[in-house]
Amino acid sequence: MRLLFDRIFQGADEMLALAEQALAAAVAEIGESAPVNMPNTAYFLANHSAYLKKNIRTIGDLNAAFPEVKRWHQREQRLENVFNTGFATFMAAEVIEACKYAVSADPYNGEYHGHLSDAEVRELGVPLVTGDIPGFVVIIGPAPSDEEAAELIKGYQSRAIFVFLIGGVIDQAKRMGVATGFPVRVVAVGPDIWQTAHIISFVNRAAMIFGAVTPGDREGFDHYTFHRIRAFVNAFDPVADIVAACGAGAIAMGFPVVTNDEKDMWPVPKSLIIQPASEDFIETSLEARDIRIKITKIDIPVAYSTAFEGEIVRRHDMQLDIDGSRVDCCELVTTKQPHEIEDHEITLIGPDFEEFEQGSRVCLCYVAEVAGKTMQADFEPVFERRIHDFVNRAEGVMHTGQRDNLRIRVSKDAFAAGFRARHIGEILYAAIKSDYESVVDKCAIKIYTRPEDCREIRALAQAVYEKRDERLAALTDESVDVFYDCILCQSFSPAHVCVVTPERLGLCGAVSWLDAKAANELDPNGACHKVTKERVVDEHLGIWEDVNETVKEASHGNLEQVTLYSIMVDPMTSCGCFECICGIEPLSNGVVIVHREHTGMTPLGMTFSEMASMTGGGVQTPGFMGHGKQFISSRKFMRGEGGPARIVWMPKALKEMVSAKLNAAAKELYGLEDFSALIADESVTEDVETLMEYLAEKEHPVLGMEPLM
Amino acid sequence: MPFKRAPQVFSAAIRELTLGTGGKAIAVGGENVLPLYAFDGPLKNPPRVGIELSDRGPDLSLPELAAFYAGADSPAEQARRAAAAPGADFLSLYLESSDPTGADAPVEESVAFCLEIAAAVDLPLVIQGSGHAEKDAKLFEKAAEALQGKNALIMSAKEENYKGVSVAAVTAYGQKIAAESSVDINLAKQLNVLITQLGISGDKMAMNLGVSAAGYGFEYIASTIDRVRLAALSQNDAALQMPVVTPVAREAWGVKEAIVSEEDIPEWGPRERRGINMEVCTAAALIAAGSDAVILRHPRSVRVVADLIANIL
Repeated sequence: MRLLFDRIFQGADEMLALAEQALAAAVAEIGESAPVNMPNTAYFLANHSAYLKKNIRTIGDLNAAFPEVKRWHQREQRLENVFNTGFATFMAAEVIEACKYAVSADPYNGEYHGHLSDAEVRELGVPLVTGDIPGFVVIIGPAPSDEEAAELIKGYQSRAIFVFLIGGVIDQAKRMGVATGFPVRVVAVGPDIWQTAHIISFVNRAAMIFGAVTPGDREGFDHYTFHRIRAFVNAFDPVADIVAACGAGAIAMGFPVVTNDEKDMWPVPKSLIIQPASEDFIETSLEARDIRIKITKIDIPVAYSTAFEGEIVRRHDMQLDIDGSRVDCCELVTTKQPHEIEDHEITLIGPDFEEFEQGSRVCLCYVAEVAGKTMQADFEPVFERRIHDFVNRAEGVMHTGQRDNLRIRVSKDAFAAGFRARHIGEILYAAIKSDYESVVDKCAIKIYTRPEDCREIRALAQAVYEKRDERLAALTDESVDVFYDCILCQSFSPAHVCVVTPERLGLCGAVSWLDAKAANELDPNGACHKVTKERVVDEHLGIWEDVNETVKEASHGNLEQVTLYSIMVDPMTSCGCFECICGIEPLSNGVVIVHREHTGMTPLGMTFSEMASMTGGGVQTPGFMGHGKQFISSRKFMRGEGGPARIVWMPKALKEMVSAKLNAAAKELYGLEDFSALIADESVTEDVETLMEYLAEKEHPVLGMEPLM
Repeated sequence: MPFKRAPQVFSAAIRELTLGTGGKAIAVGGENVLPLYAFDGPLKNPPRVGIELSDRGPDLSLPELAAFYAGADSPAEQARRAAAAPGADFLSLYLESSDPTGADAPVEESVAFCLEIAAAVDLPLVIQGSGHAEKDAKLFEKAAEALQGKNALIMSAKEENYKGVSVAAVTAYGQKIAAESSVDINLAKQLNVLITQLGISGDKMAMNLGVSAAGYGFEYIASTIDRVRLAALSQNDAALQMPVVTPVAREAWGVKEAIVSEEDIPEWGPRERRGINMEVCTAAALIAAGSDAVILRHPRSVRVVADLIANIL
């Protein structure tokens, strides 16, 4: 058994010896003064330039620099030395290649690509920087078979990964008729391992051009290649020592090496990966280098567009009725460890759609398993709520409800077009991967259609839902470190900014604290940003200096201060899309709340729209405030003024929606049972005198509270 | 009570963007006072005026314009003529034909047009695409490559294509980039942040905040520029301190007043006059709102707006 250190040092010795020979031959043949010019580059020998900060112009320069190259190869068994030895190997390889180009302008005669021009660096660099090419692979070898070589190359091509070939794999590709060349993104660099110098030269020039890294700035190059160049190596068995030495350099640059050679090979996590099953090289490599492939199309037999979101599938057009109200159905997003799932694996467990009679009611559960380094369990419900939109967008598929009371109808037309259970999986996979690409590395879907499985999965899901609800209930403003702002509405309400907290969701009702958190993680430059809450001014009213600074900045100076828990002192502003408005009712010292759907009159003598005109557009109007429905039962609702006990009137429909939670809150805050029964509605009165009589009769707690003004 | 002057000079300033090379190079932006408030403090650069030339050539149905370009049959000739128009600080090439929903000229053709003109004139160049995000991305990459060393402004990178366009234009080929958003301060800021996160520094960028002709929802763009400028100066918001370049011409010449023929509405008078008026009043109002450069099509508009600027400052 040989140590990896020894193999790498031995390999470097071999490369340096070859370089020395090449140099000596070049000196003898063309002399020290002969120019060394790689074609079409302004960066001299880019590797020498990057690591040694030397502009090599002649064979003499190259010769003079060689002792320094050798010094980079040190033999102490330390990681740093191994990395330096790797770079020494690359520079030695560059010496060999430079001598070749010094002797002949076109040493490969078109058979191999060899050196890459600056134009090619720029052309390839742009899509690499933008992510349109997600990364590149250097395949070294021959593969175990010609077929496998072709399959590997085509697998990378189909994922838009740029491919460099070194060694025997080139002949294999040729025999299999795989087209090579820069335009098809498969470049046959050269037959020998020292031609890797051209790839490293490409990388170093990219760092200088796109990263403005200056020659000699070793740290700058390392940082750039590690963070910006998503490259990796596939080295086929047998990996010679000289290849291992190059591998050390690649690893030093941040490029993992994946190999199927198990002999004298020592795995290094994330860097040197032994994958005996070479047919799995692609997946192993992409995971090792954190490369996510963009989803561009959804593989289903029906059209897919937001245009179909509102489509209704009627009973007589219906092939299948997946009805969660009658049978066991559920949808669940769950987080897994990356090694537990295989990306894009869609598993149907149970009979497919054609095995059910037309028009029948069937049970169906699907579980989306996601994995990713930045994935958090808190995102699960956020993704899950989007499933409704995702599935609904398929033509001829209707989705309503969520969790375990969902309903999906598949139309006869969609069925006839070939829509089957698996396609629900394709939709979920594609939508989750593309909408949440920044956190989801892998996604697999399991679909269950047997009643006994569905029963079991539903029970599992219910336990998860319950846990999530507990987590939501336990989230308080005090228990979190940050709030979020949301400026989604500023395009039409430029002065408004929402501050979203666990106990106060956005006034539109659509952005909870978890939503805002997810939105921020997914797109830090989007509409939601973190707001710290370190410098408290008045916790009771909800005033923080940090919050005020954010509000001032995000409203572009329109607002100086907001309170989060008061409607009388600097209340939070509204854009115009609030679910509810509350406004003070002066006679009772209480507030009236009305929701958007209520068109009738209120005891204030104003309708919803009239009240809306008091508070929209980012204006602070003490006594009036827009808010979400869920906020009514929050422990923070109007805390500055005494809390929900101030509520004297709500439309019946709204009362019904919030009463359970509101009663619970009133019980906790005031020890009151059935508080919502004390609140008047339109069936009691729409005028203020009768309202006062009602409140007195019910002994509403507001009558004993401090005046609001 | 005596009048007390209180100049409002901000500690923050708009970045200065240089375009072109050699003696005709210009700087855009750089001010630390409100638009045209030269009485509060000196303006580093006056608002700049560009003249636009379409790859479809000038509209010869306009008599004055036809006379201006008379005898200039090649793009190079027309460009020389445009570049000589009094008041023109830069030349903007509108690659209208590249639009895939229109003539769909191949990229090579559009690039050849740019190269022909680049060889003929020494004014700084602005390259305007058709606005089709996908096609523009391809076109701008090739145009930026072909125009290496010209320090041209590529107009524009949008949300859909900003990565490829700005990396190619600025990082790979050393040009400048305008970030285009649609009349919304937050979108403008977001795009600027995203582009700078690609490693492109703010002094290589301009903003195109959107445009509408006077009377066609102009208030929206005016208030957007207003707010952007106030955020940049009074709040020192570095993500909004790029100079604003507004392509007025294609909006101004696209509205009813500039299109309807004199035969159809005789009482409106000659069409050319109307188009010029539309261009001039839109440009003047945009400059007052804070646009650091405007792009106009008609040489008379260019002269009038340039005179206006010279006389105000």
